[in-house]
Amino acid sequence: MTCAACGTIAEDGSTFCEHCGALLGAPAPAPVVVAAVPEPPEVPVCRACGGTIADDGYCESCGEKAVSERDHWSELPSALVGGVCDRGRRKSRNEDAMALALSGPTAVLVVCDGVSNVPDSDIASLTAARAARDVLVTGPAGSTVGAWSALLVTAAAAADQAIADAVGDTSARVEPPSCTFVAAVVDGPTVVAGWLGDSRVYWLPDEGDAHQVSVDDSAATEMIARGVPRATAEASREGHAITRWLGPDAETVVPGTGTTRAQGPGWVLACSDGLWNYCSAAADVADLVHRTVAQVGTAPDVVAAELVRWANEQGGHDNITAALARVAAPVDTVHTDETVPVDPVPPAS
Amino acid sequence: MADFRTEVFQNEFLSDGATDVHAIVTVTSSGAGSAVSSSGGVAEIVIIDTSGSMSGPNIDAAKYAAQVAVDQIADGTWFSIIGGSHVANRAFPYPNAPVAIVQMEPGAREEAKRAISYMRPSGGTAMSTWLRLADAIFAEVPQVAQKHAILLTDGRNESEPRAELSSAIYDVTGHFQCDARGVGSSWEVAELREIATALLGTVDLIRNPADIAADFKALVNESMSKGVADAELRVWAPQGAQVLFVRRVAPTVEDLTARRTEVNALTGAYPTGAWGDESRDYHVAVRVASKPVGSEQLAARVQIAVGGEVQASGLVKARWSDDSSLTARINPEVAHYTGQTELASVIQEGLAAKASGDEATATVKLGRAVQLAAETGNEEATSRLRRVVEIDDEEQGTVRLKRNTDKLDEMALDTASTKTTRVRR
Repeated sequence: MTCAACGTIAEDGSTFCEHCGALLGAPAPAPVVVAAVPEPPEVPVCRACGGTIADDGYCESCGEKAVSERDHWSELPSALVGGVCDRGRRKSRNEDAMALALSGPTAVLVVCDGVSNVPDSDIASLTAARAARDVLVTGPAGSTVGAWSALLVTAAAAADQAIADAVGDTSARVEPPSCTFVAAVVDGPTVVAGWLGDSRVYWLPDEGDAHQVSVDDSAATEMIARGVPRATAEASREGHAITRWLGPDAETVVPGTGTTRAQGPGWVLACSDGLWNYCSAAADVADLVHRTVAQVGTAPDVVAAELVRWANEQGGHDNITAALARVAAPVDTVHTDETVPVDPVPPAS
Repeated sequence: MADFRTEVFQNEFLSDGATDVHAIVTVTSSGAGSAVSSSGGVAEIVIIDTSGSMSGPNIDAAKYAAQVAVDQIADGTWFSIIGGSHVANRAFPYPNAPVAIVQMEPGAREEAKRAISYMRPSGGTAMSTWLRLADAIFAEVPQVAQKHAILLTDGRNESEPRAELSSAIYDVTGHFQCDARGVGSSWEVAELREIATALLGTVDLIRNPADIAADFKALVNESMSKGVADAELRVWAPQGAQVLFVRRVAPTVEDLTARRTEVNALTGAYPTGAWGDESRDYHVAVRVASKPVGSEQLAARVQIAVGGEVQASGLVKARWSDDSSLTARINPEVAHYTGQTELASVIQEGLAAKASGDEATATVKLGRAVQLAAETGNEEATSRLRRVVEIDDEEQGTVRLKRNTDKLDEMALDTASTKTTRVRR
């Protein structure tokens, strides 16, 4: 179980929290803070220069094309949880999606990446991300890693159902809409991730070694397993083919899950390949995030915006999503800081 | 009020690092109504050359044409008749009349035609005085929105320095529009072109004095049909961008770039004069800062405004791409009018070189003109060029200057040089 006051995981049977001394098991009326997608302002403002957007859809001073809310938005459900979802530069629409929340002390990050150029995959990804988030904020039956993993499986199933409900009958379609799925719950020092596809969760501690919590369901992963160097595999055309996903033509929608326990403060990053294509290895991602924080401060939406801007600067070839949750210091734990596979074990595919 | 529409023709795709955006914007007005019914009404002044050189068939034809014009001027229209020599004289209302301009009605029409019949040729030619008198007369009716003059001459502006004429043109620009006509071969194309260009009118050659009347009739009718007194073309370009040029390219080529007045820091207004039911094409070129491949931005808003109100807006876009099948495409409208603009300037330069005895330059320029006229399908230009040069190879632009060309043919080529053909769609 988790202390409702400070988020520390307490041993079953304890009455008081060892960390903060609060009464355990007290009904925590934990408010769920879901980032509302902001209403567009009455006079739309240019993202590039702050000028006014004219009725023709372009800025009155710099000529920048106005971006729709779907093409670029930011969420900040709490001071420790935030993200940015962006169309990037090359794609004509944003098929990435994210849904973030803070439920009591638990941060929820969900990122879905719609399969490129399939009609309605932008609808599928956003519907799926929100459905999964809405399941995850209800919290698991117990605060164990196993309970969170089970809830991630439920969330992925709900997301898949939501896609089916949203896009309707797809039997006549050659390519039904589909998307990747990655979710991270940050419950005190415990980070539990679930995934289908190649959107990722990284644990990026302020000190010590960073690592990827998720494992890509992609041809690249299989190539790496066969001994192909990571950079070669990820740069290859076929490497980007994903082996599992959400959507009407998915063979399985049971996510792979993994967990890690933080030994100190750091960042949990959930992102789409629009970001990690330019920065894949966990150590490089950690460097990037730490550099960014040093520049722009610790507000997670601001850090995410800067990561998106950086990815656009690298070319912005794909849609870009970066969602961050801050694990605050100090965390009192004796556990090791490593990823351990947890049940249910995903079926090999 | 007329309905305005815009249509934009461009290739919005730019290659990586490219900065220049070109577009042809077609502006079309419909339901313009007539000038007489428009608010503010219309004023018309006919200026006839009465210098000594007009003696003979010219003055008789000009007087007859002025009378025909008076017949065409609708009742209610403010009008006046000027006879011009080295000084300008008001022929009607009579010089001793208390007012300089009156509204047309049957009695005034008969009296004006009688006044025209009394006009006698004598003296020299100083067109600055003609324009200044017309300006002073128009100033008597400040409430009139649309002011139009027709100027007819047969000779050079020989009684004053050229600068005098230029200075008068500068002073009256924006006050009224003026169509300029030359009869015979003794007038100077450049002089009348300067007047017509500044005063948003046309210049043309009338070979035969007998044709003046038909031309005047058409000009007055056209003026009467312009229901929109004054419209301006507005060009917005983004912060930091540079408007390279703004040209009208149809029905005739006219560079408007230097005519810009500021609407606001990012928007310039260019005069277009009065509009009837018609369609005109504008070539706008804007230089923007290059953006990364994949970026899109607006490079220009091209708008038509009447009385300060924007009636229609066309969007010129820029999208950077690394797909050369998109960026290498040349928009046919832009290519067509770029060619036609060059055609106008090489004809004028070629004729100027020929006049100054530089036959080598004239041959090259007129050869290029033949080539461009063929490329852009301007058959009228080709047939006018044929009267001045022998064409050896149209495609290569190889020509020989004709000996003993008719001066009228050269002048016809010169005055018509800015007339464009439209793109075949």
